[in-house]
Amino acid sequence: MQPSEFIHRLQDIVGPDYVIHHPEDLLVYEYDGSVDRSMPRAVALPSDADQVSRVLALAYDEGVPLVGRGSGTGLSGGALAPPGGIQIAFTRMNRILEVDTENLTATIEPGVINLDLDTHVRKFGMRYAPDPSSQKACSLGGNIAENAGGPHCLAYGTTTNHVLGMEVALEDGTLVQLGGAARQVPGYDLRGVFVGSEGTFGIATKIKVRLLPLPETVRTFLGIFPDIESACSAVSAVIGHGIVPAALEMIDALSIRAVQNVTDAGYPDDAGAVLLIELEGLWEEVDEVSREVESALWETGANEVRVAEEDSERERLWLGRKTAFGAFGTIAPNYYLVDGVVPRTRLTQVLRKVSEVSEKYGIIIANVFHAGDGNLHPCMLFDEREPGVKERAMAGASELMEYCVEMGGSLSGEHGIGLEKKQFMPLVYTEQDMEAMRLVRDAFAPSGRLNPGKIFPDGEEYVPVTQRTPTQVDPDFYV
Amino acid sequence: MSRGDSSPPRDKPLTSPISQQLAGLLGADAVLPTDSYSIDDVVPPAVVQPRDRKGVAQVMRWASQTGAKVSPYGGGILAGLGNLPDRIDVVLDLSRLNRVTDYQPADLTATVEAGIALEDMRRELAHGEKLAPLEAPFPGRATIGGILATNCSGPLRFAYGLPRDWLIGVTVVGAGGQETKSGGRVVKNVTGYDLNKLYTGSLGTLGVILEASFKLTPRAEARAGLAASFPTLKEALSAGRSLVSQVFVPQGVQVVNRASAERLNLDLPSGADGLILALAEGRPRATARRVEESASVLSDAGAANIDRLQEPDTVSLAQRVTDLGWDEQTRPFLGLKIDLPPSVLDQFLDALQPVAGTGVIADVGFGTVQIFHWVNPFAQGGQEIDGAVAEIARVRALARSLGGTVVVEHCAKPVKAAIDVWEGCAGESELQIMRRIKEKFDPAGLLNPGRFIGRI
Repeated sequence: MQPSEFIHRLQDIVGPDYVIHHPEDLLVYEYDGSVDRSMPRAVALPSDADQVSRVLALAYDEGVPLVGRGSGTGLSGGALAPPGGIQIAFTRMNRILEVDTENLTATIEPGVINLDLDTHVRKFGMRYAPDPSSQKACSLGGNIAENAGGPHCLAYGTTTNHVLGMEVALEDGTLVQLGGAARQVPGYDLRGVFVGSEGTFGIATKIKVRLLPLPETVRTFLGIFPDIESACSAVSAVIGHGIVPAALEMIDALSIRAVQNVTDAGYPDDAGAVLLIELEGLWEEVDEVSREVESALWETGANEVRVAEEDSERERLWLGRKTAFGAFGTIAPNYYLVDGVVPRTRLTQVLRKVSEVSEKYGIIIANVFHAGDGNLHPCMLFDEREPGVKERAMAGASELMEYCVEMGGSLSGEHGIGLEKKQFMPLVYTEQDMEAMRLVRDAFAPSGRLNPGKIFPDGEEYVPVTQRTPTQVDPDFYV
Repeated sequence: MSRGDSSPPRDKPLTSPISQQLAGLLGADAVLPTDSYSIDDVVPPAVVQPRDRKGVAQVMRWASQTGAKVSPYGGGILAGLGNLPDRIDVVLDLSRLNRVTDYQPADLTATVEAGIALEDMRRELAHGEKLAPLEAPFPGRATIGGILATNCSGPLRFAYGLPRDWLIGVTVVGAGGQETKSGGRVVKNVTGYDLNKLYTGSLGTLGVILEASFKLTPRAEARAGLAASFPTLKEALSAGRSLVSQVFVPQGVQVVNRASAERLNLDLPSGADGLILALAEGRPRATARRVEESASVLSDAGAANIDRLQEPDTVSLAQRVTDLGWDEQTRPFLGLKIDLPPSVLDQFLDALQPVAGTGVIADVGFGTVQIFHWVNPFAQGGQEIDGAVAEIARVRALARSLGGTVVVEHCAKPVKAAIDVWEGCAGESELQIMRRIKEKFDPAGLLNPGRFIGRI
């Protein structure tokens, strides 16, 4: 089939206005949040599951690889088109189909924006708990592909703990129901293994999620610390008291400065670290735990503790956390974020390593992260126009990932592996471990044309950063 | 069903050729007499109890060479779950793999071997005031491997979810003897596919679980509960449903009928046929409020009598409900587990119209209903099998019409021979994917063949 004929066939399915194929129009689809790039051959924007299914069937028959795309906010290259492949973008499939207040569920299309769902169901006294930092923009379909997290996953778990059922289009266009309306579904947990499969098993066309009732009381604490070590010991002290807050987030000194450059989040200039803690539940619980949290913050050396219960005040305390990543632009034009996760008692050690890496490679690194579950986000800030800086940043990031694994941790807490971290997979898994994973992929998608080239390192062994020759760092890699 | 950590005295020679082969492989003390083991009333030809993980891999390598069919085995509590096996040559008893291999209270994580009993795990984790909120009948014998293989749960599932929600990493021995792991020891991890979910609830058909890592939660400081009786099951159910939408809802809310209440040794005043059991835990003041406000809601809803339960009674009640009224020897003639969207529970129970003596336990927040016949109520005129089969079909049709599934957790062997335990639990396209997964993981069908969904 001639390329133009393929485009015509796509247009026949989704309508002539909903196939993007001119190179200048495709530019925006070349990126996701990872800043790597790959130009798709075309982008189809279906309006319903039937069209998704027919696009898949066409691509399957023609041997064209493809990937689903939500909002393109992913940080690991998950939604980038495979070479020669197309994207199915879910911009038009953004309807909330049903909110069930009796069973506390919502049925939605995959293009629904995370925050739009949450805002909508709050009108009914419920909420959707997973709240990635990109929740204003990211789609639920993408959240499922990556098993997205967010600050409140500390108490409520990640996306996988909130998905009840899905309608999924398989590689040949067959629509399959995985899971259902009930909490427990006998048989292999296909919905569970599908969540986080990064678009390599199939494409969700309809999603049923679990909602939670709104808590009676929410109280937010902001602890201002002289340095990051004392903030880390506060984290340990809180968890050590037998408290699992709804969220427990850390912002380091550099990030505080970046935030203060763009907005007044109310942080003192000399703050060494800020800890955000949110408690939720019955007021008796929150009240009792509050006192323990406050005393833990003071005992571990907080200079100041602020508390808020009203929504507007709480939002003010969260402002810095939510502004930080955008604010890094005031320090350097490019950033690369490492999503490592470690046992939470290793935070201090790992942050020390982050400083070492920063010095060793001459890269500024800011830290804003989910301290409560040990999910670090060291953010390497640089200007890619400076010769050699990308290579140094990537080498530094590699060293940090190696260290996270050495500390008993893992490569990604919530962003996925995608293209970005696939070379690091052998640090965590043996070839046999990965083979078991590929077996599941091959059971779902035997042709291997759903988002190929992601997650697995294609048989290459990992070369530790200290043993690399300069040529082994790809200058175009991930910046 | 009985076995222990130490090898029982060997009064019989190892006559079966399989036992002899296994003794040659792992030493005579790893091969046990078979007569205390049975799967669907069949004593297996051989039982092997490896001393360590290497031994498990050796058994599977041997099986893959000889084509022997292997059934992984923990405490034997739910060993009867599943269709009649095509064939079982060896029961692979994991109870010697019973250690906590890593416990980090400050990280809220622990790693345990598959053969550890739930009670032993709880006791060891209690030293650091943490727990994995798992529930299983007979926790002194139920093993973590068995709990994961069956994804079993108890009355607190409404608050804490299922084992799948707490498992963060797992190591398995595959059908070919290769050891693989997925996940890790951190509480949040999206590195590679989440095979933890796949192994949980897979009834040992994809691999033998060796070791499992869990995220933990701090132990609750206080526990309290209540039992509220209602004239009818329907009224209890409706009151229970109104309770689960409250902000102060206790962590577990069950509704039981008279037959189940009697089986659970609960007092039910005469004239009452429905009982709400509410289990609360957490900080003391909040726990007390959950109970008091629940009592007030249930009283307004027409409760005839409300008993408050102190901590020890609450704990023992939670375990009795988890045990489902079983005892060491007795399993019900017929036990069905139905999972429904919670809002249709009343419709379901209304239409069910069970025969007298049928036990009902309904988790009103989660949507799980368990139905028991302790004796065969269908035993008339030689129709005992047909009657039970028809009853299963009737409950299935009803559950399906309401968006639910039915698993036949217990039934007499002749009944089991006439049904599919998992019928209707997955659509045909879903089943095809499941079959392809099984074929890839276990192409020779060595692990628990025939027992799982779709006769996998």
